[in-house]
Amino acid sequence: MSESSAILVLHQSLRKCFQAIQQQQEAWQTALTGCKPLLSSLSNLAEQMQACQKVTFAHTPLQAFPDLEEQLKYKQRCAAETLLEELGGKVADLQKVRDVVSGYVGTVFQLYEQHADVLGFEASVQRTALIPSLADMLEWLHDIERYYRHVYLESKLLLLQIRYDNLPDMQTLPQSWEKVLEHNSRNMVQDTLLKVSFLETL
Amino acid sequence: MPRKSTNAGWGCRASIPRDRQPAQPRGRDPSPKSPAAVPPKRPVLSVSARKIKDNAADWHNLMMKWETLNNNGFTTANKIVNLKIGTQFKDNKLEIECDNIASDCGKLSPNYNEELEMFCAKLLETLENMAKIQQKMEKLCSTTKGICDLETYHYENGDCRTPLFHTWPTTYFYEVSFKLTEMYKKEIRLKQTIVQEIAHTADQDLMMVYLSSWLYQPYIESSSKLLLESMLLETGHRQV
Repeated sequence: MSESSAILVLHQSLRKCFQAIQQQQEAWQTALTGCKPLLSSLSNLAEQMQACQKVTFAHTPLQAFPDLEEQLKYKQRCAAETLLEELGGKVADLQKVRDVVSGYVGTVFQLYEQHADVLGFEASVQRTALIPSLADMLEWLHDIERYYRHVYLESKLLLLQIRYDNLPDMQTLPQSWEKVLEHNSRNMVQDTLLKVSFLETL
Repeated sequence: MPRKSTNAGWGCRASIPRDRQPAQPRGRDPSPKSPAAVPPKRPVLSVSARKIKDNAADWHNLMMKWETLNNNGFTTANKIVNLKIGTQFKDNKLEIECDNIASDCGKLSPNYNEELEMFCAKLLETLENMAKIQQKMEKLCSTTKGICDLETYHYENGDCRTPLFHTWPTTYFYEVSFKLTEMYKKEIRLKQTIVQEIAHTADQDLMMVYLSSWLYQPYIESSSKLLLESMLLETGHRQV
């Protein structure tokens, strides 16, 4: 295979990969957006649970309802479990995106390795004003893959750290979530997709 | 403040229409003494069966209305609590200011009293509507009891009773109605206490407990949905 046809094959494979990322990015964004209100509800619920712990029911007008505290705590716990389950679903969506993207990226790299000898170093780093080099694009793919992996793992970790016996921490979930998103530059994927829009014209 | 959680799944349901089948003509009834002895899935239901079926639809519709009112009430209660907390905050600030300019104390007459009164009246109205629903539920329960008593009267001679629909003996309907009625009875009592007290406490934690109790309705057990759905399934409102 000649050098130019190897580049063409790789460009095609890259195009397919970036197209898949574009699609997956939508699913990713939907899952991320869905997490926020759930975490906020969970934080509110933690506030309510804490209030229940602080109040001595027997010293309030609610003393006429001796089983209220237990019943209310049970209902709150049920509501929290439902929210956690929904959150688990969102995190599973994130995991799915991570896996799909990893699959595509892996295929591109495999293809590159197959043609690496034909391409040589020069062709891999050659770039023009319009077309980034293969090395650049492969690096971007690595970055994207790493981004998905990090955010997924951090969300999973955040979810695993939720404890009913640590209500103050549970109340700060929205802030912790924002930190997760801030640590990982949010627009990285979108920016990269813009940089490779030339692939559409190939 | 606790906002409405995402797990309210009742509001979007359409109401179930009552059964419009005509009552079975007496003359054609093969066993006029026992209207309950109708084979299952018969196209024309007996009077008792029709009444039970209507009751099931009513239960569903009332419970749905209750949920809507509960959500409305929660919004109002939340506003009351926010208003009160806001005022407390102002009061605290005022105390600090008063240290310097004592004369300013009397000047602050926020119109929150009017607002508070308006929200309280609104909450009271919601509560009254909920109480009406609860009374209707009690009536449904007593109607079902009546049907059971009637059936007992008809079958005093020890005849075998055929279920009105699929598998449930008529007394099951009463048991379900009774359980549901008890839940709502307790819940309305709790809500009455909340409405009486919510605007009269300065303790923020207690306000939060009131709000949470209003929202999560601790006395309406999770089984209520299952009871209702099984009743709807048995009476044919829901398809298997």
